[in-house]
Amino acid sequence: MSGPRTVVLELTRMEAAHLAGLVSQFAELLDGARSTSGDPAIARLVPDAYADDAAAAQDFRDVTEQDLLERRREDAGRVLASLHDATLLPDAPEPAGDAALELIELRLDPEELRSWLRSLAAIRLVLATRLGIRTEDDHDVDDPRFGIYDWLGYRLDGLVQAASEDD
Amino acid sequence: MGLMAIPAAPDVLEDRDVRVEEQVPRPWQTVVWNDPVNLMSYVTHVFREYFGFDLPHAERLMLAVHHDGHAVVAEGAREQMELHVQAMHDYGLWATLRQVPR
Repeated sequence: MSGPRTVVLELTRMEAAHLAGLVSQFAELLDGARSTSGDPAIARLVPDAYADDAAAAQDFRDVTEQDLLERRREDAGRVLASLHDATLLPDAPEPAGDAALELIELRLDPEELRSWLRSLAAIRLVLATRLGIRTEDDHDVDDPRFGIYDWLGYRLDGLVQAASEDD
Repeated sequence: MGLMAIPAAPDVLEDRDVRVEEQVPRPWQTVVWNDPVNLMSYVTHVFREYFGFDLPHAERLMLAVHHDGHAVVAEGAREQMELHVQAMHDYGLWATLRQVPR
């Protein structure tokens, strides 16, 4: 059994600020969301549980959808809370660029880590929907949004490795 | 005598059919489907954390999802499979449940 442990995440203030921005947008997307709104990104977060039985899929959705989306909101809130201090740029006289590139350490306890893992994975699902990623080959190097998508994947992979260490 | 003899054959056949149906209930399966977004490392992590699979088992299932397009990760009662599917959705994995195909 691989239970998440407390991990230390090192990232720049600039990264922390970008991440907080993305998670905030994710939280806004989730606010009042329901699968019937027609947003494919929300639909991807709460997919049909029965492939060939629309009535059973709807029953399942009635019971689980709001719980799943509420948990997403809680996760996003927990990630934002853990990022809060890191995103504050100090009022120091040094050039802003230096502060933005300053490396900071975030300690994530097991519960925070689980929220981070779930949120980064979910935000990638949302971005993939917006970017129209349907196969693993759908990748446009000229589109900066793919850079964000890849960066989230890099951070998620690092956290997964940290969570699985010593197993 | 005549009353007892005539209908015997079809009744027995029907009974047997019902009994076979009852004796072999088809269990349900939790199926995880491949998607181009979720990282292989993350899917393996989910299988280990949620199902408690060891690393080789989790990786084997992850690779089955990746290469075959889907994998059956659990089998059992319908209610239990619904819980698993909900948990997979919670992690962002694409999962469905189905009765074991005939």
